[in-house]
Amino acid sequence: MAIQYSFTKSLVDRQNEAEKAMLEELRSGNYTLTNPLVKLNPYLINPLAAVVLFHTDDEVAVTVRVLGKEPEGTMEHTFPKAKEHVLPVLGLYIDYENTVEIELYRGAKHTIKIQTEPMTSGVPKLIHMDTTYHYLRDELIFVSPALTDLATGFDYKGDVRWHLNIPTVFDIKRAKNGNLLIGSHRLLKIPYYMSGIYEMTMAGKIVREYSIPGGYHHDQFEMPDGNLLILTEDLTSETVEDMCVLVDRNTGEILKTWDYKKFLDPKKVARSGSWTEEDWFHNNAVWYDEKTNSLTFSGRHIDSMCNIDFDSGELNWIIGDPEMWPEEYQKYFFKPVGDGEFDWQYEQHANVITPNGDVMCFDNGHWRSKVPEKRIKNRDNFSRGVRYKINTDDMTIQQVWQYGKERGEEFYSMYICNVEYYKEGHYMVHSGGIQYYGDHASEQFAALMQDDPMVHNHSITVELLDDQVMLELEVEGNFYRAEKLHLYHDQDNMPLGDGVRLGKMGVTKEFDTLIEMDPCGEELSYIYEASVEEEDDRFTFHATFESGQLVMLMLEQGDEKHGYYISTAKGKFAALCCGTFIEKDARKIKCSVNKAGLSGTYDIRVIVDDKKFDTGIQIKC
Amino acid sequence: MLKEIAAAEFEELAVKGVVLVDFFSTTCGPCKMLSFVLNDVEKVLGDKVTILKVDFDKNKDLTEKYAVKGYPTLIVLKDGVEVKRMQGLQQKPAIIKALEEQL
Repeated sequence: MAIQYSFTKSLVDRQNEAEKAMLEELRSGNYTLTNPLVKLNPYLINPLAAVVLFHTDDEVAVTVRVLGKEPEGTMEHTFPKAKEHVLPVLGLYIDYENTVEIELYRGAKHTIKIQTEPMTSGVPKLIHMDTTYHYLRDELIFVSPALTDLATGFDYKGDVRWHLNIPTVFDIKRAKNGNLLIGSHRLLKIPYYMSGIYEMTMAGKIVREYSIPGGYHHDQFEMPDGNLLILTEDLTSETVEDMCVLVDRNTGEILKTWDYKKFLDPKKVARSGSWTEEDWFHNNAVWYDEKTNSLTFSGRHIDSMCNIDFDSGELNWIIGDPEMWPEEYQKYFFKPVGDGEFDWQYEQHANVITPNGDVMCFDNGHWRSKVPEKRIKNRDNFSRGVRYKINTDDMTIQQVWQYGKERGEEFYSMYICNVEYYKEGHYMVHSGGIQYYGDHASEQFAALMQDDPMVHNHSITVELLDDQVMLELEVEGNFYRAEKLHLYHDQDNMPLGDGVRLGKMGVTKEFDTLIEMDPCGEELSYIYEASVEEEDDRFTFHATFESGQLVMLMLEQGDEKHGYYISTAKGKFAALCCGTFIEKDARKIKCSVNKAGLSGTYDIRVIVDDKKFDTGIQIKC
Repeated sequence: MLKEIAAAEFEELAVKGVVLVDFFSTTCGPCKMLSFVLNDVEKVLGDKVTILKVDFDKNKDLTEKYAVKGYPTLIVLKDGVEVKRMQGLQQKPAIIKALEEQL
């Protein structure tokens, strides 16, 4: 058969099996403090995590300590007392014989060695980390992928102490229960639409997988009651990235939906330089503010942050340059006041509402005008973190803080990035999308030029305390966001039991026009390097086609036909907030089809130009 | 009517009524798909609109006149005046909607 077929169990199922096997091994053996069971990478996706498992005769608290390469690099945590100990070991060094101490409270101590694997291609290369142990202590700076390097955590010295070997893209946030909320690694559609999000432990265990019918992109936010805001889109709409849903944390059910076309008219909005008819808003962040019961959405392609009432969905205000917006929207904009410096933000990311109601964001500055004649080149531009004070009574705005403008081109990111508010005067500004072509900022997305030796991508993360730089991390590659987190927290660091899959996948959008033709009776040639990877809720077709070929994937069951057009065009992306899934070989395609909405057994066929080929593969839905 | 034309015919056919001009290339996958879509559009709208297909690579005068930078590009003309432009592959409902707005 010319077409390779494989079935892949869900990651959650594989992790559940691994955990069960690990616990069975513990309970069927005689593992003690001096002879513990040790499992490296217990959940398959974090090669810098391990679990030590053993029993003690009495209930006792245990401290696990990964010794640093230098004393300050030691990571430790004390777990509550128990007789059965299943303890995560976090913060292992990569490609290193780690020394790990296990110490009973006021009791014995045992030392084990854990050898980790060598560095893989997905680990970002450190350029420099300038900070002190006194400042960062045992926290890590985590970065999430925007290109090929994967999610990674760096300690105060710049050593890698946490890493995922799967492409979990976009935002990483810590939930109130200590788990991480992070984008899933299941790509629905190029360039970056994912199936949903994972609630995950630091060791990599997926406690809950949330599948969202419209997919997930860019950001998620935990509400005060624990439910989740997740950015998605309406698969029946002709537009993208203009919808948010509220998801029940325990069931995955969608409780509420906000369609941005209800508070803004896509035909009337002012357009940033990256605007397209389809991606008219380009929502890259959501924030809920409990004091005002409102949601703030960052719309990259309208150069604006829009605030709406949580209950009614009505527009409250817009922060952005009002130029080019029609009169009917002017009342929602603010007027700059005060004598200080002021710049509007353009194509911003990661809006944050501070406790006193100020609004922060990463001002990418891309184009820095909606007026085509006024737009400036990337090499002449700047990016920054910025904080605005707004008065919604008289609709005035002041810029009260910024960092980055003074650095000019070397700190400029035309896409992605974030800011973090810790307390008054204490912030993170992450310029994760710096792209140079030769000696200057690139005018094009580097993800589309990955093999060009003139391209150099890097990422600079800065932390400031009262305007003093306390930390600067620079790594090669681009990273969507940065977060500062402890490896351990004070709740359950190792929840046991099956991870669950919640929510549901949506019906994959079909192409409205089908190409009517009969099968030619031939199997798709091996030259297309085609394969089909099936999962329990979808399948993905992989192949290689030349630019300019007409390709449509067909699912056929008698007279029932479903067509999925596959683009072979070059340079098909207007916005590329995550290039992690962009193939270096532009001829390689992947097309994922959810089983939702389909019923029965379907033949997979492929139209290539003027012939419809068989694959010999059937999918049961 | 759906017809592939050259520049000489264009002036005659494009000046009256609602006309959809498809700037395409024979080397472009989305353009090939779009031709199937336009066949469907013609079946729905019939003689209410004229659909003209213009080979991007062979009609430099027209691509320059309409400042067409890539393909496929769809331009809706009403009595010879451009009223809407769509770039990239479009689906049938979007094209029909754009044309019906001008009828």
